[in-house]
Amino acid sequence: MKDGVKKNTSEKWGKNVKLSMCLMGLGQFFYGQIGRGLCYLAILLLAVVYFVYRGFSDLIGLFTLGTKEADTWLGLEGDNSVVMLLMGILSVIALLFFVFCYLSNIKDAYETQKLCERGGHPAKFKEDLKQFLDKKFYKTVLFLPIVGVCVFNILPIIFMILIAFTNYGGNIVPPKLVDWVGIDNFVQIATLSQFAPTFGRILIWNLIWAAVSTAVNYFAGLGLALLLNKECVKGKAFWRAFPMLAYAVPGFITLLGFKFMFSYGGPINQIITDMGYRAVGFLDIDAKWIARGIGFAVNAWISVPSIMLLATGILSNRDASQMESAKIDGANAFQQFRHITLPFVLFSTTPVLISQFIGNFNNFGIFFFLRGGLYIDGYFLASDTDLLINWLYNLSISNNYYNVGATISLVIFMITSFISLLIYTRSSSYREEDTFR
Amino acid sequence: MKSMKTMRVLDTVVTHVILIAVCFIFLFPCLWLILASFSKSGSIYSFEGFFPSAYSLDTFRNLFTDTEMYNYPKWFRNTLFIAVMSCLIGSFLVILTAYTMSRFQFKGRKTIMKTTLVLGMFPSFMGMIAVYIIMTQFGLINKMWGLILIYSANAPMGYLTQKGFFDTIPSSIDEAARIDGATNFQVFLKINLPLSLPIIVYTALTSFTFPWSDFILPKLLLKEKDLYTVAVGLMNLGETEFSRFAAGSVFIAVPIVILYFCLMKFFVNGMTAGAVKG
Repeated sequence: MKDGVKKNTSEKWGKNVKLSMCLMGLGQFFYGQIGRGLCYLAILLLAVVYFVYRGFSDLIGLFTLGTKEADTWLGLEGDNSVVMLLMGILSVIALLFFVFCYLSNIKDAYETQKLCERGGHPAKFKEDLKQFLDKKFYKTVLFLPIVGVCVFNILPIIFMILIAFTNYGGNIVPPKLVDWVGIDNFVQIATLSQFAPTFGRILIWNLIWAAVSTAVNYFAGLGLALLLNKECVKGKAFWRAFPMLAYAVPGFITLLGFKFMFSYGGPINQIITDMGYRAVGFLDIDAKWIARGIGFAVNAWISVPSIMLLATGILSNRDASQMESAKIDGANAFQQFRHITLPFVLFSTTPVLISQFIGNFNNFGIFFFLRGGLYIDGYFLASDTDLLINWLYNLSISNNYYNVGATISLVIFMITSFISLLIYTRSSSYREEDTFR
Repeated sequence: MKSMKTMRVLDTVVTHVILIAVCFIFLFPCLWLILASFSKSGSIYSFEGFFPSAYSLDTFRNLFTDTEMYNYPKWFRNTLFIAVMSCLIGSFLVILTAYTMSRFQFKGRKTIMKTTLVLGMFPSFMGMIAVYIIMTQFGLINKMWGLILIYSANAPMGYLTQKGFFDTIPSSIDEAARIDGATNFQVFLKINLPLSLPIIVYTALTSFTFPWSDFILPKLLLKEKDLYTVAVGLMNLGETEFSRFAAGSVFIAVPIVILYFCLMKFFVNGMTAGAVKG
């Protein structure tokens, strides 16, 4: 009996599967699945037209990055290396997509073959379409988002990763030709006197900034939530409204507002001058630690309310009986916090902590608004409050050092992913997944 | 017993003192901006300490009538258009993506989830130059639709919060409906969508406020003065135009603040439900 079944559903490829291998959709035609076959055929036609017209040359362009340099004297229109790089990536994606379709076409024919051998009938086109609202609903739904993310997220990221391995930037921008340079950029950042000291200084400050501001915001937010959660506080909604106000104001308004507040003509300096002192340049060129301190304060003003809201929500899920029994056993308020509340909240908010850390590490807005566009001696196109992401902006968008900028973004990526992986695997929510379930 | 009582009173007093201080810290800058927007003179140098020396409504009138140098009404219309369109398209895509990722078990689901996590680690505007070049290739520089396209296309990347919410809706309801013969599409439309009002409000609000207050993309992609958004326009105002800045800020911040307060209940629900589950 078993042998019989095996013979019926033979592992061999039938005639129609082989036809599908030769020409996409042909096998489906022979099974009478005209609609499905036409779809595959259309994909094949599109692919052929694309690759004949530009895909193939785009693919070659990815490796050469252009061979003809433009010459205005001869009126020669040269190759634009950057566009060629981008289009080259696109053609690779298109190629991969086509290969995927081709394989799925063969697989589909094979599945139909097996279905027929088992005595089923090949699905009609109408049934196919119906499937996309039912069993394959996820494909219908995810198609648009995935295409969008590919074009506007993945493609730019791949592009920037590749830029980190070219000499695009500085003087070498189109119409000049760009070339592949291997890992030269990484070596430059680590060793070249132009970049290396700046990179080191900014990296250290960036790590301090991320760690301190995350800790400050997190504990201030948690503290505020605990304070509002106290029994003696009446009218919680009223008190909560004030941090909410800060939360709701758009970030750039807050930042610009604080910049005005600490500026030379700003109110704080007016009060200082009225009292007979000289105006203080809070965000001035030599105001290193004052400016950094203001950065911490302003960032706390913006971020503490969101942490507070989150912590309030989490605290309301807390098991009250635990606290009760601790109180009976004679634990004081601090002990209760240290041994019951904190582990619980930390456990629930580890993902938030990680995202806060990364958000602060890459906090572009704070110093862009408070102290943007300042270049200080000892730093290459940056100031002593700039984070890596601000430096990245200065280098690539304001000053055309695209390759260095891209290299730095790769370094930022490596650091943030390493740290968040570390926090995540060390955290209790990863190690003991169901402690609080 | 008596000392317990004094301790409790002391505790209450200290708590409230801290609370009042906190409220002052959060309220004061907002109050300062609001008062500054009613200042009679525009320059920050004419202020006495924190507050304007004379008040009038002229700043708001100027904001909308004196449009030669700073065309605020135009900025406002641009921002509103971009934010509303991105909100509609973006929320639609996010909700659908999150729902699918939460409800369907399919091949490649884990891969997609891991990929989005890794992609999220890249600095947000690392690819800006590439985006700029792509938009030039598509001919979408200096077009508001280009911006809307980018905002909406990137919106599904933040599906995790919404997915966390959908995870909390029991799937037994779905199964019951499936047995009664509903397709997956109907299950989504008729059962899950009405149940997920809080998260929809949350999504709509966040995907509205992001374009509403973003400054990097508009600065990069909309070079013409006519196409400035409020954020870009306000950034260009100096100390002498301080009250114009204040008025412009108050005018766009007030609707957002009111919206947040009206929808606070939904908002907190959405945020905690999603964030805790991860």
